[in-house]
Amino acid sequence: MKLKLSAPIPAGLKPQPRRPGEKDPGAAGAAKEAGISAVDWLDERTSLSGAARWMMFRKVPKGTNWFYTLGSATMIAFLSQAVTGVFLAMYYRPSAAEAYESVRYITNEAFLGEFVRGMHKWGSTVMVILVFLHMGRTYFFGAYKYPRELNWVVGAVLLVLTMLMSFTGYLLPFDQKSYWATIVGVNINGTGPLVGPYLNDFLLAGPDFGATTLSRFYAIHMMLVPGLIAALIGAHLYLVAKLGTTAPPWLKAEKDPELRKESA
Amino acid sequence: MNRQQKEEYLREYAILKAQGKPFFPYAVAKDAIMAVIVMAVIITMSIVLGAELGPKADPTTTTYVPRPEWYFYFLFELLRIIKPDYLVPLATLGIPTICLILLFLLPFFDRGPERRPEKRPLATSFGIFVIAAMAYLTYLGASAGSPTEIELETPKAVRSQGGEVLAQFEAGRAVAAQSGCLACHKFGENGNDGPGPELTHIGERMYPESIRRTLINPTSPMPSFKDLPEDKFNDLVVFLSNLK
Amino acid sequence: MAKDRRQKKSKYTADRNIPGAFEGETVTRRRFMTTTTHAAGAIAASAFALPALGFAIGPVFEKRERRWEAVGPTTDFTPDTYVPKVFTETYGIGDVGKTTVYVRQHNPEIDGPQKDEYDAYIAISTKCMHLGCPVRFVPASERFICPCHGGVYDFQGKVDGGPPVRPLDRFYTRVRDGQVEIGPRYSVNSELRRFSPRYPGEPLDGIGQYLYPSRPTARKL
Repeated sequence: MKLKLSAPIPAGLKPQPRRPGEKDPGAAGAAKEAGISAVDWLDERTSLSGAARWMMFRKVPKGTNWFYTLGSATMIAFLSQAVTGVFLAMYYRPSAAEAYESVRYITNEAFLGEFVRGMHKWGSTVMVILVFLHMGRTYFFGAYKYPRELNWVVGAVLLVLTMLMSFTGYLLPFDQKSYWATIVGVNINGTGPLVGPYLNDFLLAGPDFGATTLSRFYAIHMMLVPGLIAALIGAHLYLVAKLGTTAPPWLKAEKDPELRKESA
Repeated sequence: MNRQQKEEYLREYAILKAQGKPFFPYAVAKDAIMAVIVMAVIITMSIVLGAELGPKADPTTTTYVPRPEWYFYFLFELLRIIKPDYLVPLATLGIPTICLILLFLLPFFDRGPERRPEKRPLATSFGIFVIAAMAYLTYLGASAGSPTEIELETPKAVRSQGGEVLAQFEAGRAVAAQSGCLACHKFGENGNDGPGPELTHIGERMYPESIRRTLINPTSPMPSFKDLPEDKFNDLVVFLSNLK
Repeated sequence: MAKDRRQKKSKYTADRNIPGAFEGETVTRRRFMTTTTHAAGAIAASAFALPALGFAIGPVFEKRERRWEAVGPTTDFTPDTYVPKVFTETYGIGDVGKTTVYVRQHNPEIDGPQKDEYDAYIAISTKCMHLGCPVRFVPASERFICPCHGGVYDFQGKVDGGPPVRPLDRFYTRVRDGQVEIGPRYSVNSELRRFSPRYPGEPLDGIGQYLYPSRPTARKL
């Protein structure tokens, strides 16, 4: 499982001589040829095919079942959130005076607006559920144990960041529910002794809900946390590929008969 | 896990892995199907449930009843059930912080070599307990009624009497809901557990006369309702005495 | 061996047999380069991290202008019940900066003697001191009731039940030209002593006022 830096060209991409009796592939063949040489060019300069093969053709243990898809399902939900979020950002205006009106425009007037906003809204619910299911699977299968302790910690940070995303995204539509939920959420932080009041000032950008509170939440929701999540998902995935996915805990390896003889 | 157990695990895992299949396409196929399911669920929810936008944020309101998104219900309920004011920081930050620290450090205090859930009774039952506790708190949070409404069913006896009594009962329900009774008393799903007693079946325990006396001359800290207008007061008594 | 070790401890590179060492030199060139790299990296990182941090926590030190806003003639208010009035607490953000305040006349039977000129009218904030939900005054029971987590306050705004940690905040009031004017907010402890404004959920009794410091720029009058 070592990462080879100067990877040879994969067999499927190597040009093959035409077999006798095969027809001249013509334009399609030329296009295929061009594609292969383009990939070849890229690979010669980046050696990416080695990394891709290391990632994609690593073996997963026997018994890998549907429970093991929860992690990638969470990632798909995150990608969906990222894409729909970018498109919502094209219409959204993060100011206390205009936010509600712009969300109302997205919901009621923009083409497919309600659909995209619905995907973002319900996507967050789905993502939270998937994160918890994924964590439950890891917990009950004992998959956080040696040598995967660090990956559990990265996952726990991702859980906190996901909750932070739902909290900061909550305010943005700026209806009654989002406003009051945010007030309560911010004041929960304020009950921390000594640092609480300053944390509140930082979150609200002032002593009360003010002119820049919304844009502050927006920046956290739009840039800070998604960037951290994306980076940590990368680390999480790297560790998964490096250490391998766990086998279901009830599975025991079938030893070679010869090995069994030796140990007996 | 000591060193021998670690090496044993790595050896065992290497064998399992060698007997496994390549990630692509075998595991990726499952992942891709799951991805399709996830997106189908999100899109269906978006189409069926839509994206509701409530009324615009209004900091001057005194009638709005804030409720969080469902996945914060367990935190919300935690805040509701922890009443003594000196425990508030515990409910808001203490308990969640402790839980988070335990979560982060899980692999460092649970270091046993056993991975099968049925052979780790402590860890498994603790996990189930946490899930059950969160589900229970979520359920309580979801069913927490509004503190300005009483959603009790009208008793059969009142409905069969109809007319005057029914009208008075319904008017009394509104008076009780708007007079802040729910802040200290519970009516079915609505209201708080204490400091006052639950009033869901108060009519079984007290006669209308004693209810009337209690409302006018209550024990502290309950305020007196003697200043209520005559008709509203009577409606309230009819409502309470018919809660059986 | 022991002699060698002592030699290595000499601070002069020339004593340590490092090739190319100069007389009187105490830092090897490699060590110098390593330190320079670390220092330059740290300076570059703090050059963007510190201004960003300062920018983010800057609002803590921002001073808000103190304004007084008239909410109605003195004849609007009685000592026996509260009148809800809407006024602007935060300027520059339109309707969202407004808040409701419950106002009544000072009532010597309940409140005792008047403290000072700001005490002639009592203006009570509608922000619940548990976690900031909107409380409502219920005339029938003469209580303030919070719909979120079940906080109850009595006629003076003192905590009667539920989780709130201190009485409802108040606003300074004064009378100018027959109009009641509302000024800055202040917090009170359970004996209604005035404190600089705090966030909800922060107790002011006992050591509470030290555990939860107020903003350095927001002070009581």
